[in-house]
Amino acid sequence: MLVETLLLVTLLGAGIVMLAPDRFAGKLAAGISVIPVALTTYMYYVFLTDYNGAGNALLSPGEVAFGTQIPWLNLGEYTVQYYVGLDGVSMPLLALTTILTTLAIVSAWTPIDERQSQFYGLMLLMEVSLIGVFTALDFFLWFVFWEGVLIPMYFLIGVWGGPRRKYAAIKFFVYTNVASLVMFAGLFALVFATDVTTLSLPAMATAFRGATGLPTFAGYSLATISFVLMFIGFAVKVPVFPLHTWLPDAHVEAPTPVSVMLAGVLLKMGTYALLRFNFTMLEATARQLAVPLAIVGVVSVIYGAMLALAQRDLKRIVAYSSISSMGYVILGLVAFTPLGMGGATFQMVAHGLISGLMFMTVGVIYNTTHTRMVGDMSGLADRMPWTVGIFVAAAFGYMGLPLMAGFAAEFFIFQGAFNAATLGASAPVLTSLAMFGIVIVAGYLLWAMQRTLFGGFNLETDYEVGPAAVHDVAPLAVLLLLVIALGVAPDLSLDMIQHAVAPLTGGGA
Amino acid sequence: MAAFTYAPAIVLLPFVSFLVALFLGDRMPKGGALAGIAATGLSLVLSIWVALDVAGFVGSSTSYNEFIYTWVAGVDSITLRFGLLLDPLSALMLLIVTLIAFLVHIFSLGYMNDEGETGLPRYYAGLGLFTASMLGFVVANNLLMAFIFFELVGLCSYLLIGFWFREDGPPSAAKKAFLVTRFGDYFFLIGVVGIIATFGTGLFAPIREGGQVVEQSFPALAEAAIVDGATGPIAMLETVGMGPQAWFTVLGLLVLGGVIGKSAQFPLHTWLPDAMEGPTPVSALIHAATMVAAGVYLVARMYGFYAISPTALAVIALVGGFTALFAATMGVVKQELKQVLAYSTISQYGYMMLALGSGGYVAAVFHLTTHAVFKALLFLGAGSVIIAMHHNENMWDMGGLKDRMPVTYWTFLSGSLALAGIVPFAGFWSKDEVLYEALIHGFGSSNGLGPVYLLAYTFGLLAVFMTGFYTFRMVYLTFHGEPRTDIARDPVSVGWNVKGPLSVLGVLAATVGFINMAPVAKLTGAHIDFLHKWLNGPDEGGWPAALNTGFHHYEVLLKDVAGVGVGEPLGSIGTLLGSAALSLALALAGLLVARSLYSGPEPVEHTDKLGGVKTILMHNYYQDEYQVWLATGLTYPVARAMDKFDQGVVDGVVNGVSSVSLFGGRRARRIQSGVVSNYATLLTLGLVLLLVVFGLAGGWF
Amino acid sequence: MAVAAQYYLLLSAAIFCIGLFGVLTRRNALIFLMSVELMLNAANINFVAFSLQHGNLTGQVFALFGMAIAAAEVAVGIGIILVLYRNFSDVDVTKATTMRW
Repeated sequence: MLVETLLLVTLLGAGIVMLAPDRFAGKLAAGISVIPVALTTYMYYVFLTDYNGAGNALLSPGEVAFGTQIPWLNLGEYTVQYYVGLDGVSMPLLALTTILTTLAIVSAWTPIDERQSQFYGLMLLMEVSLIGVFTALDFFLWFVFWEGVLIPMYFLIGVWGGPRRKYAAIKFFVYTNVASLVMFAGLFALVFATDVTTLSLPAMATAFRGATGLPTFAGYSLATISFVLMFIGFAVKVPVFPLHTWLPDAHVEAPTPVSVMLAGVLLKMGTYALLRFNFTMLEATARQLAVPLAIVGVVSVIYGAMLALAQRDLKRIVAYSSISSMGYVILGLVAFTPLGMGGATFQMVAHGLISGLMFMTVGVIYNTTHTRMVGDMSGLADRMPWTVGIFVAAAFGYMGLPLMAGFAAEFFIFQGAFNAATLGASAPVLTSLAMFGIVIVAGYLLWAMQRTLFGGFNLETDYEVGPAAVHDVAPLAVLLLLVIALGVAPDLSLDMIQHAVAPLTGGGA
Repeated sequence: MAAFTYAPAIVLLPFVSFLVALFLGDRMPKGGALAGIAATGLSLVLSIWVALDVAGFVGSSTSYNEFIYTWVAGVDSITLRFGLLLDPLSALMLLIVTLIAFLVHIFSLGYMNDEGETGLPRYYAGLGLFTASMLGFVVANNLLMAFIFFELVGLCSYLLIGFWFREDGPPSAAKKAFLVTRFGDYFFLIGVVGIIATFGTGLFAPIREGGQVVEQSFPALAEAAIVDGATGPIAMLETVGMGPQAWFTVLGLLVLGGVIGKSAQFPLHTWLPDAMEGPTPVSALIHAATMVAAGVYLVARMYGFYAISPTALAVIALVGGFTALFAATMGVVKQELKQVLAYSTISQYGYMMLALGSGGYVAAVFHLTTHAVFKALLFLGAGSVIIAMHHNENMWDMGGLKDRMPVTYWTFLSGSLALAGIVPFAGFWSKDEVLYEALIHGFGSSNGLGPVYLLAYTFGLLAVFMTGFYTFRMVYLTFHGEPRTDIARDPVSVGWNVKGPLSVLGVLAATVGFINMAPVAKLTGAHIDFLHKWLNGPDEGGWPAALNTGFHHYEVLLKDVAGVGVGEPLGSIGTLLGSAALSLALALAGLLVARSLYSGPEPVEHTDKLGGVKTILMHNYYQDEYQVWLATGLTYPVARAMDKFDQGVVDGVVNGVSSVSLFGGRRARRIQSGVVSNYATLLTLGLVLLLVVFGLAGGWF
Repeated sequence: MAVAAQYYLLLSAAIFCIGLFGVLTRRNALIFLMSVELMLNAANINFVAFSLQHGNLTGQVFALFGMAIAAAEVAVGIGIILVLYRNFSDVDVTKATTMRW
């Protein structure tokens, strides 16, 4: 019942906030969004104490936590159910979603100064869909939520965004929607080729994993073709080179709190879906294609990092570095080792927190200086010490400073991939190449910090610069604490994640 | 056992002082300095206690190797844990770090507080965090934990170099320091991951319970693989398709990348001179005595792993010897006090690497110890001079400070004599032993190591002369002759908090060499080579048997596996005396040349006589230039080009698809003419067409 | 004896073609409307003819529906034509092209 409560409370909250006056919509939305945080915290606590043995939701549906299964519709010969539940992979991501939403809402108090009630209503509406994506265990239900995320996002970018918001919003919407179509085609080709009768994800997983004698086209098995189609579909969301170009535009144009959600949670939908669909349902194919997929991941890492090096806009820097960070996730997933896959999922959470933190910090600076361009400002450390302190901490988190979540995640991925059986002899080479990302990331973040935060104070725009408000800095501090907590004690998440991916990895490093 | 139970507090106390200084510092007197002093003082006391325990004076056990925190328990995967390894090596290093940190905290009262600095809480927080990280690194019992604290040390270095962030220089230097060491750490990280993947553990020393090994260490596993051919459990060898020795050498060299970065060895030494932008006490603590020592310490810590790889040893020795000479030549022409010290630091760490590479494990640790003392002293002395000179560091603006600041002068002189290697000051004993080890192993080693060692020895020997020269050039320019500026005529006086640490270190610099007077021990037969005994342990049982980190074990490995042997061309005593006399003579020669050139009341620059060489030396062999070029001249343009590619080609395709669709739509909509008759016509035609198609398909005609 | 069904169909086809011809060639909206009426009534003739042929009343019912629709259509159509005239001062259907793309 908890998942339904979560969905309903948030949906109801979205409605209430939409109707509320602009004046206190922000505070109301923050208040309402605390309820899902409290609920997920409780669920997380239950996971940490009771559900440690819970397996993978798709492979051992009997062990799903907080599950509800109700028949819903019959579409032709397929049964559609209302089917939700959590396992070790979705729980951390769900917690990430609710926490980040609350913090993003609080961080929106300063920059959003028109149509507040609609803005916060849409944020909560998006949260409903995101909760749905991470909890749904029926494909139909999941797909409704998956697409449902796009609608609020489209308006959030298109209405409250920067100068080129319409271009960015349409690009985002069309790009990801076309991707969903490709993915849908790939998935349903398999559905029709196998004898599933319900669209529940565990049933599909069982059917696809056990499928034999699938038709072949031009020498390729349908499993391979579907895998590639689904991979392309999800890769857009992740995003993976060369399907990434919607991301920098969307990030730059979106208002900061929306960027936080976009980088923090929306990108994880892609990798989460990759893990659930490609790497769970078509495990055998994924293992066969491990080397090319790992190369895609490594190219994303280096390519994203190199592009971040060429940017002047702080938001673009973080946007491109997100591409880089998500490349690690691909590398970790294809390793099929407990540390690799566990680390990949851990990286989803870690990157969600750290990139959210980075965007929020850039947002706080932008609210004060009204510029994000490296070179238009310098010496901010003089005027806003605490914000800059958190910026520095966040940047080092991004660079993979040990005892912060980013290092833990990246280390797990590297360790898991270094002798991955799926990658064979190329494993050490590919892993070492991917590791070079940590040098480039240090390069561009240190460069940007030196130019903007340090040196004599100077600003190209005519705004008074002083310390940021408490409610601007508080979300940053909360996120930073979470990042450090996960870095010092990664088992807070990694343990449940590893339990959930254990059926896939089957031992190893 | 008691002291070992409290050992984690050695690390945690400075960490607490970090938190206290950061959050409460501005509400405390002295900006949080007292918390730092108290914490490092307590850590020092605890370290002494631990050292006494290790020595066997108190307690029941002489070593400790336990996990204390599980970082990742791991489901079906390896378990990653933090633990403490306390043996003579780490106990000694604990003493050095806590002592210097304690003295630097006190000195900072004079250097920072008395100078009216702002941001003191940030400063003391940085010092506290640094001390904690460094101590964490020292006690780490496995490679992952070592890497973690190694990186944190790098962060602190960044924060403290960039302490004066309002100026342009320090942030840039901080960035460079972190970036260059990060480049080294990249290889280190591959090495860590590779070692854990290969051996399934990163432990430096085996963990035993009741005498039985419950978890083996990676040097021991590597040794077993090479010596006993026990390669079976190491699946990684098959993956990479290499023999055990080749692959272990690769891993060792990867880890060495981090060492070269942190210990500022060629070619990653360029960050250290820039790091002098930081406050001088920071330079003393971090960039001379402790953090830079981390690299060398790491090699010593996992010496069992390097001792089985002749290639790695040769690389270490060559890099070390070359760096020793290379950095010394640059130190000769520098005009700023701290710059001279910076290059001498690089050079001295070169000696330690040379010693480690050529099998002189004890000599390296000995030089690490003495260097920590006299280099901290020199930096603090320089700090004292800098206070006196109103933060002017140019030696040509000084002169004649001898009479005006006697405490600083005499202690600085003690440090300089130690650095130059003049008997009986500390540096003489340790540097002599380094060179002696390189020499005898150069004559006695097989596997092609001999010539390498001799080459490295020659580098080291030449550097001795240079060291003597630049050290006393510095002393003469700073303290002797006539004051050359008004400030030098009337320097600011310094307080007890400056003189106190200087005096302690000044005495130590003169005397710490006595802990290992190996030549004297050999000549007289008296057992006074204490450090050697300390690192060797008892021949039977005790901690060396438990941990495999005793020097005796390393000696056996060096001899049997790497082929490092002893050869004495002039006989046992002759070689010993010859080596000592040669290095002392060269050091004295350097000293005398410096004296003849710079000791007058009005010394003049002689660097112009070097001609073109001067230009090269002043530009540090263009090492900075090419590294900056790599970053801004190569990587950045490539990044720009990739950005163009991304915007033009990758995004161009996306926008192209959109443009084609828009264009097509714009054409297609022309059908919608708005004339209702046209629609009717189209409708009719369409119907007819459909009828025809159906007719043809249906076979009506 | 009743007239054979094909004659009705021929008649209806002829009327339909006349209506179609009017729709395609005439530009006056009123004639347009009349032509549409012709086409509708051609359909009605078909309904009734087949109803007779099959002895089933459904066709006649639908013819009634058709007439009702025709009447309604005329009412709407005339209204549109009036507005058309008011806006364009003409009832030429090819002139009113402002609603295109």
